[in-house]
Amino acid sequence: MAFTSSTRLVNPRLGTYFGIFTAALVALVLMALMLEQLGVADPLLRSLMFSAPLLLYAAIGFNARANEPHDYFASGRRVPAFFNGLVLGVAVLGGAGFLGLTGALFIAGFDALCLSIGWCAGLVFMAVLFAPYVRKFGTYTIPAFLGRRFDSRAVRVLAAAVLCPSILLVLVAETRFAAYAAAWLVGQPEPIMTAVLIALVAAVLAAGGMRSLTWSSVAKAITALLALAVPATIFGLMASNLPLPQMTHGNTLRVLTRMEMLRNLPIVIAPPLAFDLPGVGMEALGKRFVQSFGNVGTLGFVLASLVMAAGVAASPSLLPRSGTTPGVYEARKSLGWAVLVAGVILLTLPAVAVYLRFLVFEQVIGQSADQVPTWMQLLQQAGIAQLEPSTQPISVGRLGFERDAVLFALPIAAGFPQVLVYLALIGALAAALTGLSASLFALAAIVAEDVVRASPVEVASDRARLGRARIALAGMALVAVWLAIAAPADPLQLFLWGVTLSASGCFPILVLSIWWRRTKAWGAMAGMLTGVLVAGAAILLGESGAIALPSALAGALGLPCAMLVTIVLSVMTPARRLNVLEQLGEMRVPGGETVYDREMRLLRLKNRTPS
Amino acid sequence: MIERNERKAYWRHTKVQMLTSLLPFLLAMIILPIYADALNEKRVLGMPLGYFLACHGLMVIGFITVAVFINRQDAIDHWHGAHEDF
Repeated sequence: MAFTSSTRLVNPRLGTYFGIFTAALVALVLMALMLEQLGVADPLLRSLMFSAPLLLYAAIGFNARANEPHDYFASGRRVPAFFNGLVLGVAVLGGAGFLGLTGALFIAGFDALCLSIGWCAGLVFMAVLFAPYVRKFGTYTIPAFLGRRFDSRAVRVLAAAVLCPSILLVLVAETRFAAYAAAWLVGQPEPIMTAVLIALVAAVLAAGGMRSLTWSSVAKAITALLALAVPATIFGLMASNLPLPQMTHGNTLRVLTRMEMLRNLPIVIAPPLAFDLPGVGMEALGKRFVQSFGNVGTLGFVLASLVMAAGVAASPSLLPRSGTTPGVYEARKSLGWAVLVAGVILLTLPAVAVYLRFLVFEQVIGQSADQVPTWMQLLQQAGIAQLEPSTQPISVGRLGFERDAVLFALPIAAGFPQVLVYLALIGALAAALTGLSASLFALAAIVAEDVVRASPVEVASDRARLGRARIALAGMALVAVWLAIAAPADPLQLFLWGVTLSASGCFPILVLSIWWRRTKAWGAMAGMLTGVLVAGAAILLGESGAIALPSALAGALGLPCAMLVTIVLSVMTPARRLNVLEQLGEMRVPGGETVYDREMRLLRLKNRTPS
Repeated sequence: MIERNERKAYWRHTKVQMLTSLLPFLLAMIILPIYADALNEKRVLGMPLGYFLACHGLMVIGFITVAVFINRQDAIDHWHGAHEDF
């Protein structure tokens, strides 16, 4: 088994393969457009648009099988920076970004930008603070990283217990978003789609682990980008004659701002700590788009950005992805690509929100009930919009929109062919599946490697190790299905809770364990526990209304508490062992063999029976 | 491969690079949105300046931060002989 990888091992035909995939996807959409014009039945078109991309993802995933732990957990450390960055950029946003953020931007306007800023900043922090060092260490999970950093099995097990809830919350949120998009596309109930999608994802992941996850996620990321770009670009062309909606929605926004003033849309000032982003169900457009701090207060905005950034940067489901690159430099570069990809998406989503809001104000608000355009009637029939019946002209207060449907409401409102609505849906589904797969795989890997460990995993045979990982995957898939069907909460709220727990339980310990050499095992354990317990208590108290801090911002309490406790206990406990410091020194230097791979190589040499 | 006595200098350089990369970005992400309403009087590409800076500006600053960090950190790695050998 080869542990040392280099750039020479990277497959030079990857660009060709994914070029073929992109061509197949474009051909599928064009064919569906032609079939629609030829009068093919709508259910058939929906089935085609749902099943064909899923079959392609599954084929790519099954084709990337893995029979060795190095391939199963780290994709053989052969993923080039661009492809890793592409997957990271889409997985970090997932369904919460594509569906939740677009809707939040449409309804709350400027205030939802706190999430965009947090996502982008999280990737920047990850690139500078964590990714190069996690890559140099080379462990397959974050608890394994912390356990080896402090040379303590207790730290590893505790980290696994502390990090699992945050990954589980994100997993359930992404599953709910994926099932929501799939249910719209196929017309089946969400619980059925939840089971179908998780079964498919789990089967693909069981075949090749991180290898399948990476290559099928590249295909999903391409789909998501294409599906987001096409409707937004067409509308951008219609509105400004330029195919760059990210830069040209300014004129539409100027007209929209004027219409909002004419329609007397109020200027709302929220209390400093408010964090009132739209939830599930019908939400009215309560304030002007560019007016800041109407739903989210000044302090709430800053705290939300910081907590989001910390949670994303230390995300235990995304950070191990750095380990799939051929080296430390490639890991840094992949984060550069990830910021670029996520940045382009995060600039396109406000354009979508502005365009739909413009259409609503231009064609619906102020009209009498019998003059409502056809697309508005379609949105009402589909349950995306709600209009209170009245004989008066339509006012903003009488109109409600479903947050998570805004992304695919734009092609309906713009009068695009039905296939472009389905394209927006498969894009959202692909993004949610990317986030879902990353969370499910990370959770199963932690359970298999760091929790269920009767004997040291590294000594176990490859077969036993992969068998345990696959069983854990099946178990976690069942838990995800059950929780996604049973959990009644808003998926965006679940996502934010997951991020806030990651910011409290993981971020401070990771920062200190890499950047402060005096951090010790007792300090790390106490810090992790404090962070998660304080954040968990703040979420419960915030939800019950006992404290003024909104539950999504619980990390603003948990993070400083965890950092303080870690520092105090590290200073109080005895000096570090020499081998721990030696290992830390090695981790900080990019050159040389990956620490974990070298340990495994030596362990195998030691355990090899002489022939 | 990096010399043992070079490690301390390398890590000091790396820490300075980390701080110079993150602190300006951190300041921008806190300060820009707070003054968005005041800046919205002016327009860029038809967009209110405050909205433009919070939305587009921070994404661009984030990307430039990472790009410069990758370039400078690689230079630091080579300067101290800490870079990877492929």
